[in-house]
Amino acid sequence: METLVIILIDGLVYASWLFLIAVGLTLIYGVLRILNLAHGSLYALGAYAAASLVIRYFDRGLWPPGSYFLMLGAAVAVGLLAGPFIERGLLRRIYNRDPVYQLLATYSLFLILEDFIKLVWGVNPYFAYKPAWLLGQVWLGGIPYPAYSVLLIGVALLAGGGLWFFIRRTRTGRLVVAMIYDPEISMALGVNVPRLSLLTFTLGAILAALGGAFTAPTLSVAPGISVEVIVLAFAVVVIGGLGSPEGSAIGALLVGLVRALMVHQRPELELFAIYLVMALVLLIRPQGLFAREEVRRV
Amino acid sequence: MLTLERISVQLKGFPILRGVSLEAPSGRITGLVGRNGAGKTTTLRAIVGLVPVQSGTVRFADQDLTALAAYQRASLGIGYMPEDRRLIGPLTVEENLLLPAWAMNLPGASERLRWIYRLMPEVQELAGRRVAQLSGGQQKLVALARAVMVGSRLLLLDEPFEGLAPALAFRMGEILQALRSEGIGVLLAESDLRRVSALAEQIYTIERGEVMPGSAFNGGLE
Repeated sequence: METLVIILIDGLVYASWLFLIAVGLTLIYGVLRILNLAHGSLYALGAYAAASLVIRYFDRGLWPPGSYFLMLGAAVAVGLLAGPFIERGLLRRIYNRDPVYQLLATYSLFLILEDFIKLVWGVNPYFAYKPAWLLGQVWLGGIPYPAYSVLLIGVALLAGGGLWFFIRRTRTGRLVVAMIYDPEISMALGVNVPRLSLLTFTLGAILAALGGAFTAPTLSVAPGISVEVIVLAFAVVVIGGLGSPEGSAIGALLVGLVRALMVHQRPELELFAIYLVMALVLLIRPQGLFAREEVRRV
Repeated sequence: MLTLERISVQLKGFPILRGVSLEAPSGRITGLVGRNGAGKTTTLRAIVGLVPVQSGTVRFADQDLTALAAYQRASLGIGYMPEDRRLIGPLTVEENLLLPAWAMNLPGASERLRWIYRLMPEVQELAGRRVAQLSGGQQKLVALARAVMVGSRLLLLDEPFEGLAPALAFRMGEILQALRSEGIGVLLAESDLRRVSALAEQIYTIERGEVMPGSAFNGGLE
């Protein structure tokens, strides 16, 4: 019973973390039709920016709870700087190119950003554990659990709720839906594609950086963290259906729970199990769980 | 007035349009008649900006459209209704109609929507529905209404009558005439000459990517 509770909570924490990365990846694919292989690097940039700032913040002995706002600010700043820079500087030039060309371009970007990170932050790990350590533990079903991990779930819920409101209730959000569903007719109806692409990419970058910033206190921020997350995030978006934000939420839950189950029961099969789920979903629904609904053609 | 002068379009190396010239004045219905594959759809798509024009000019209201992206052309008041309707599935009918207004921040969008509902009350009845709940004919009307939302000056309609039951086809004709009397120019691509001859002031025939010489003749005014 206790193991089950732990697996469930671990799964939710993993899912929250994955959702923040995957939802941006899938939105960017939906609007820009580019699979951004460098998406994990935006996560890493968020983690590094937050970790290095948080360490300095605590070194100065400033008000501890302020570190959470600092992490939020770091993530938003990373997204606002890196997002437009990458979209305007690189992606805008390759929108109508062959997908292979686009993959190569974003892969190159991933390699460049990896080196950029080493150049700026060096190769030694950063331990910015204090924001997590501050919160201590909570008791869940009689089990002590790091309270910070529960905070992570809250961050993902808030981000997901905000995104849901944006997509469902705002005009720009409805344009994003239209663009994901049918880019061509959206353009013909006057959707300003360059502006919407910039906005979507920046939003995705902020979410990925947010994921990185808030995970930073729970891990050693070191070279290679972007690879770990992107491998899982791809499984999530493929399971959920490329271009579907709801799908990425369900995909993140599924992958998160499977991963937690495996980590506790069969750690050696962790990645295998995740990709087995992905393969099964692809066998049954090759377009992913949340493919677009078909319009009747009569 | 829309003017195409000797436009050529190639897709994947194959010539699809070979020097197409035509004019579609405002307040008139202009027909573009040809068989499937003759180049009607490509002509409309070239005007909208969904396929690149290799040579020739597309002019509308003293502007060279070929220099503009598709979304910029829409903001000149050009509405497009594709043959397969292309409604946005996850959105309601009314959201589909408002989409262009949201995209371009059109002033007076709600008045225009009300005007469209007066013109096409059958669309107003569908306002809250999802696209997947509509019949093919209803989707055609909604697609026309959406094109009208954008197309305050020019409508490009690709086979609007195709697949419509006779009563609905008659209704479609009525609506097009009402739009013409508002001063909107209509360019109507159609494979069935009889459908357009009753409506259009002028008809061009297109065959294998070329507008037939001397094909422009008066339809409805004969």
